[in-house]
Amino acid sequence: MSLLGLLAPRLLAARHALRRGYVKPLALGLVTALFWIGCFLFFERVLAYFQTITALGPVLTQRLLVLLFVCFFAVLLLSNVVAALTTFYGAEEVSLLLAAPLSVRRLHQARFVETLAASSWMVLLFGLPAFAAYGVVYRAGPLFYAATVATLVPFLVIPAALGVLATTGLVLVVPARRAGDVLLVAGTVLTSAAYLAFRVLRPERLASPSGLAGFAGFLADVGAPAPYAPSTWAAEVLIPLLGARPGEPLFHLALLASTAAVLYLASAAVVERVFLLAWSRAQEGRPARGSERPLARWLRALAAPLPRTAGLLFVKDMTVFLRDARQWSQLVLLLALAVMYVYNFSALPIDDGSALAGTIREIAALFNLGLAAFVTTAVAVRFVYPTISLEGRSWWVIRTAPIPLGTIWWSKFVIGFVPLVGLGEVLIVLTNRFLGVDPGVTLVFMGTLVGLVAAIVSLGLAFGAAYPRFDTQNPAHIATSFGALVYMVASLALIAVVVALESWPVSRLFWHRLGPEAVGGGESAAIACAFAAVAAVTATAWALGRRLGLRHLARLEV
Amino acid sequence: MIRAIALRKVYGPITAVDDVSFEVAPGEVFGFIGPNGAGKTTTIRLMVGLLAPTSGTVLLGGHDIGREPEAAKAMTGYLADRPFLYEKLTAREFLRFVGGLYGIARREVEGRSTELLAEFGLLERAEELIEAYSHGMKQRLALAAALVHRPRILVLDEPMVGLDPQGARALRQRIRDLAASGMTIFLSTHSLAVAEELCDRIGILDHGRLVALGSLAELRARAGDGAAPRGASLESVFLSLTGAAGPAA
Repeated sequence: MSLLGLLAPRLLAARHALRRGYVKPLALGLVTALFWIGCFLFFERVLAYFQTITALGPVLTQRLLVLLFVCFFAVLLLSNVVAALTTFYGAEEVSLLLAAPLSVRRLHQARFVETLAASSWMVLLFGLPAFAAYGVVYRAGPLFYAATVATLVPFLVIPAALGVLATTGLVLVVPARRAGDVLLVAGTVLTSAAYLAFRVLRPERLASPSGLAGFAGFLADVGAPAPYAPSTWAAEVLIPLLGARPGEPLFHLALLASTAAVLYLASAAVVERVFLLAWSRAQEGRPARGSERPLARWLRALAAPLPRTAGLLFVKDMTVFLRDARQWSQLVLLLALAVMYVYNFSALPIDDGSALAGTIREIAALFNLGLAAFVTTAVAVRFVYPTISLEGRSWWVIRTAPIPLGTIWWSKFVIGFVPLVGLGEVLIVLTNRFLGVDPGVTLVFMGTLVGLVAAIVSLGLAFGAAYPRFDTQNPAHIATSFGALVYMVASLALIAVVVALESWPVSRLFWHRLGPEAVGGGESAAIACAFAAVAAVTATAWALGRRLGLRHLARLEV
Repeated sequence: MIRAIALRKVYGPITAVDDVSFEVAPGEVFGFIGPNGAGKTTTIRLMVGLLAPTSGTVLLGGHDIGREPEAAKAMTGYLADRPFLYEKLTAREFLRFVGGLYGIARREVEGRSTELLAEFGLLERAEELIEAYSHGMKQRLALAAALVHRPRILVLDEPMVGLDPQGARALRQRIRDLAASGMTIFLSTHSLAVAEELCDRIGILDHGRLVALGSLAELRARAGDGAAPRGASLESVFLSLTGAAGPAA
């Protein structure tokens, strides 16, 4: 069978997905285009600034390009290991291919292309606008763009081949299920750490000329690039074509291409030799245990005060959640998100006593409720929205039991609401403390957040039931689906309404800078009305979410 | 014990179940057979409350599954055609969960779980995650879960699929024993031999319609008027009634 024939199922599936409707692909295309434009403008600004530094400009250009390639290479290496684990040793269709009269070499080719495609989209998403910005700012000719394409091909193949080799070695040592869990959590921890580290560098300083100068200094201080790294070779192909300095682009392109070819052939040879053994190892499960797992005991003790059915559903949901490494990786991301959120407030320039700092403080306080609710929504999209989909094909177990749908809904609601409202309240208290706002504002926001989070969780269950995805058990996939996007937009609209309704009474009551005079009788009534409107809006959203959720749950067909 | 009344399920232009009515008496084993895509699983999903009918209803032990779903479900055990279970639970945790859903006392559910796990040959691997189980083991565990609350009605959708010969034989014996104890059993199967061996009465579904209903003798008699010879096997009767019989050799 030809390579194209082996890839046909993926290509046909993509074509069928396109035929189902153009709304989703168009929306996705629009978001991607906006992202590309944003990235392009960012890089254009940075590179244009470098051009103004006469002596250091070319060096900085070179260093930044090397830095880009180094970052891409590191991420590609990790994502290729994870992707290869799935495409070579985790995908169900591999058993079909193994049973077919197909050589392992051909199987390697097909799986290699899938691994490459699955893990390399990121470079295209982030890299293309950066390379385009280089081309535009340095007024490069068509040769630069052609060379970029020619460079990217071997540059993507090298980490893919290394990923396949590393994964094959890993699967031979550790069973695939464990290897997948380890890789997933380790990868997320590394990514989150890199993200936080980047945030702590405070890239917003680049927005000011002094900040850009500092960044330029940082780049200039970075040591010389390693001569044997593929990232250096890739940069060495493009730098001369930008006219930054003379070089040997053809030599470095040849280095890249030959290394890619050798590594590809090495991965083919290794896979051909040990694939059946590695595949067999990958099918092994976890070793059996002779006694009850401690997790179940702890959760049962924790659920003891709850009513019986709610307790059962709680223990079941939490056990499934905590034993799933994919959920752990989501938790790590959540932690990074929360830390970054709090850090952002600690880094706000509000301590210099200037009028600007005071205004920033008050504006930040005003939007803090919305931001905390936004973070809570982002977490709800990851954890509440997918809960119905994650019941998946096991939904029949609960649905055929003598339990009212309302009980199931309440159980899911409480499991989502309690941790989320806790998170939201902690964020509000901590960030308001950093801002130094009136404790009264904090109390009002804490109260508002209870209703708002309840509504957000209720909507999450409603949208989760309305747009269930039973074709995947990966919560990250579910959280990035079309329904999740609609849920996010609906929640953001609700947050915007609540913040808008609450901004005036809060500013009138607590911001002495804006309204120093005492609140009059008429104003008191208006303020009470505004707070009542907030309560009514959140209660209505909650009730609507519950009603829709129950209706869609009743119609759920698995 | 089971009564389906003019059950109908329509999906857009397709009528999956069309005006299906039948009754199953207490202690009876009722076989439900039909070609692929005839609507057997849809009928069963309507019966156990997994789908809402377009019209018609089902009474389980006198309780309308639409109006009194909790009461109807409490007396019913169900084995799905493809038993998707919670892969991250152990077998014991799963039985404890299901037993709890059916309101069995905590202490009782532990003993009952051990009893069923032993009976279905899963006790030694009871603390292992279900994700490590073979298809047959999952099938056995799902069956144990269907029995954990001692239901009065047992609805089995293709229970023999995935079982090894030993397991299939043990299950056939188990079905006989359960029926002898007074349990009402509704059994959907592709295996005509199983239906012939176990069922008191058989319903044949074709294109969503119940084309025949009765004991094997009654079906033979009915088919005898048509293509199938008198005294024919259920296979001949089935092929005759569903119009799938090929030309005589």
